[in-house]
Amino acid sequence: MQKTGLFFLFAGLLQGQTYDLLLKGGRVIDPANQIDRVADVAIAGNRIARVSDGIAASDARKTVDVSGLIVTPGLVDLHAHVFGYEGALFPDDTSLIAGTTTVVDAGGSGWRSFDDFRAKIIKRAQTRVLVLINIVGHGMLGPRYENDTGDMDPKATAEKIKQNRDVIVGIKTAHFGGKGWTAIQRAVEAGKLADVPVMVDDHIFTNSGRNTREKLLDYLRPGDMHTHMYNDRQIELIDRFSGKVQPYMWEARKRGVLFDLGHGAGSFLWPVATKAMAQGFVPDTISTDLHGTSIMFQQSDMPNCISKMMSLGMSLEDAILRSTVNPARNIHRYPELGTLSSGAVADVAVLAEREGVFAMKDAWKNKKLVTKKIECVLTVRNGKIVFDQEGRAFPLWNTAGEYEVIP
Amino acid sequence: MKARWLLLLFAWALQGQEIYDLLLKNGHVLDPANHRDGQFDVAVIGNKIARVGHDFAAAHARVVVDASRYYVTPGLIDIHTHFDWQGADLNLHPDAEALTNGVTTAVDAGSSGWKNFEAFKSTVIDHSKTRLLAFLNIVGAGMYGPKVENDVNEMDVDAAAAMVRKHRDVIVGIKTAHFQPPTWDAVDRAVKAAAASGTIVMVDFSPKPGREYSDLILKHLRPGDIHTHFYGRLTPQLDANKRIQPYVLEARKRGVLFDVGHGNGSFWFRIAVPAVQQGFLPDTISTDIHVRSIMLPRANMTTTMSKFLNIGMTLEQVIERSTVNPARVIRRPELGTLSEGAVADIAVLELEQGKFAFLDSGHGKLIGDRRLRCVLTVRNGAVVWDTEGLSLTDWMKAGPYSNFR
Repeated sequence: MQKTGLFFLFAGLLQGQTYDLLLKGGRVIDPANQIDRVADVAIAGNRIARVSDGIAASDARKTVDVSGLIVTPGLVDLHAHVFGYEGALFPDDTSLIAGTTTVVDAGGSGWRSFDDFRAKIIKRAQTRVLVLINIVGHGMLGPRYENDTGDMDPKATAEKIKQNRDVIVGIKTAHFGGKGWTAIQRAVEAGKLADVPVMVDDHIFTNSGRNTREKLLDYLRPGDMHTHMYNDRQIELIDRFSGKVQPYMWEARKRGVLFDLGHGAGSFLWPVATKAMAQGFVPDTISTDLHGTSIMFQQSDMPNCISKMMSLGMSLEDAILRSTVNPARNIHRYPELGTLSSGAVADVAVLAEREGVFAMKDAWKNKKLVTKKIECVLTVRNGKIVFDQEGRAFPLWNTAGEYEVIP
Repeated sequence: MKARWLLLLFAWALQGQEIYDLLLKNGHVLDPANHRDGQFDVAVIGNKIARVGHDFAAAHARVVVDASRYYVTPGLIDIHTHFDWQGADLNLHPDAEALTNGVTTAVDAGSSGWKNFEAFKSTVIDHSKTRLLAFLNIVGAGMYGPKVENDVNEMDVDAAAAMVRKHRDVIVGIKTAHFQPPTWDAVDRAVKAAAASGTIVMVDFSPKPGREYSDLILKHLRPGDIHTHFYGRLTPQLDANKRIQPYVLEARKRGVLFDVGHGNGSFWFRIAVPAVQQGFLPDTISTDIHVRSIMLPRANMTTTMSKFLNIGMTLEQVIERSTVNPARVIRRPELGTLSEGAVADIAVLELEQGKFAFLDSGHGKLIGDRRLRCVLTVRNGAVVWDTEGLSLTDWMKAGPYSNFR
């Protein structure tokens, strides 16, 4: 029914030959539709109308020349912090300007604080904010709260999810400093009750009574996500003596456990990532864990994370797949998000591949010099241009008359 | 004569004994307060500028930065920001926006009033690496929408002045903004509160019948008070022929100060270009950075400075109005310099050459050939931003990454 409605809507638009925005001449990378070629992207209202060759500029109210640039679905950052956590950042000025049109807040809020989150940030942000709700009722407020198993209520958490399915896409457990499996078990229990995936940031320490092997093979379900995959704490990722990725990591992947980058200020190390990538242990999803600290030295925004993965041998097309389709799919929002399909919400990133010498820094602030870097040049969110670093979409001031705010 | 030589020798010997925590080598230093404009080394010990000079030994420094491709300036000072991100609407996180753009001192422009300033201080100011100062809103409830901002009863002169005096280390003056009723209450109460606390006023002004702009700057503001949003559309600063109005020139002669306050609505090329071409430069360059102004207009400090650079100001003028001038305007002359002994707040800026676009508040575009980009920021002696990795080690040479670190 919905599909038929959309069909008629677009049939009508095509007759009228009217688009609101046309991104012309860019290299379109849309992995969902197996597109990687120069094409035009036409937008009507807040929807993608079509991706095709040779759409006439005269058919659109506004045409932006994006030749020489890369046009992708708006990036989906599966692990960011925009509420609750001490280093939370408002997403528009930190993510939207980096081509990230959807951020998933990874555990800033719990069932007690989610409504506040919704009112203060989610409603106000232009960025689409989705939520992995913390199994801790108070959210990510520090060890005093996050170690309190008494505040990990699967029923209340599942209830909050069911009431907010439009926004909450899963559960997060993080920073648990207590012993045993309680935090993960409760998170998975809530995940079962609400039928959503769980993302785990596990702090494994001596005598914690936990290990990564059991976590991945016995406790997590297929479709659950292990974030911070290149963290130094995960001594289990790579065997220290052989330098090989542990067999149970491969086994977990076969089981369907998903691996997320979650760069952050502590979780991307050049030697770990280099070894893992050399053996083909690739992240399912590229994500930033962007917050007040990681945005500084590490500059862990999506384009930089993509650039870092490319320096380790990942192709641009593959990196885009893991920054759009894969994260959308892993939170069960595919194909609604992460594509440039006709009828999809018009969230688009326009990226440039720069050449030069650039320093890319890891969690320990050590740098790797690279010669290619991805940068965001322009962002479209919900059909509107919200960021335009090169002013491609706007007229010269001295020829535009006594203009008001130009949309 | 002989004593002087001995003194110099002593100074030289002392220098030889110093270990620098950070040495910025061979940058082009622009330090208007000290009339420095040329290639210098800048040495930092602890959180202070130890020495500015030539040929400092790299071997005597723990960290050496090759700044030879860059300008080295005092940490930038942005006197119109909105960084109460835990409280007021539209506010942003200070460190992520300020330090990444070389701003080491930001002044929040009235996001909070006497009723909520202390909450702002305890939740944001006390935790930010950026030196965060504030103009206190004359509205007790702060910048929380028309209902409180248009309410004269919210403007308690004594309570505001008392709060300023209590936090004189952080509060630099009084802000009034967004006041719509056609009276002088907001401006006059702000001035009174400032007078009672020995500080200055920053005004965001919209003229109304009976409330003329010329009266604001000639009669109501005192020398040293600031009109912000000077290049905005609300106030008649140009005549029909785009000439600066005589009362604006007269007000400047009186000592009233004119601030940029770029913002989402207050910087238009059709006003700024003729004004600057007539030589009417801003006393201070500031951003009015918030959730909206940061998006298409990119109202951050380096972009705002770059706009002025491309409409006729020299780099020296731009730096002066982003460092020493704002420091003096907010009466913090110890800031905005690279004087020996000053707190080590430093910006390392690249002057990029090429073709760059800049949007104004109406999204009209100016194409320019120069752009400032902050590559490294030092705040209180510590490198806090280093996009080129100038102070960092290559990972291959970083030694073993111990899993047990």
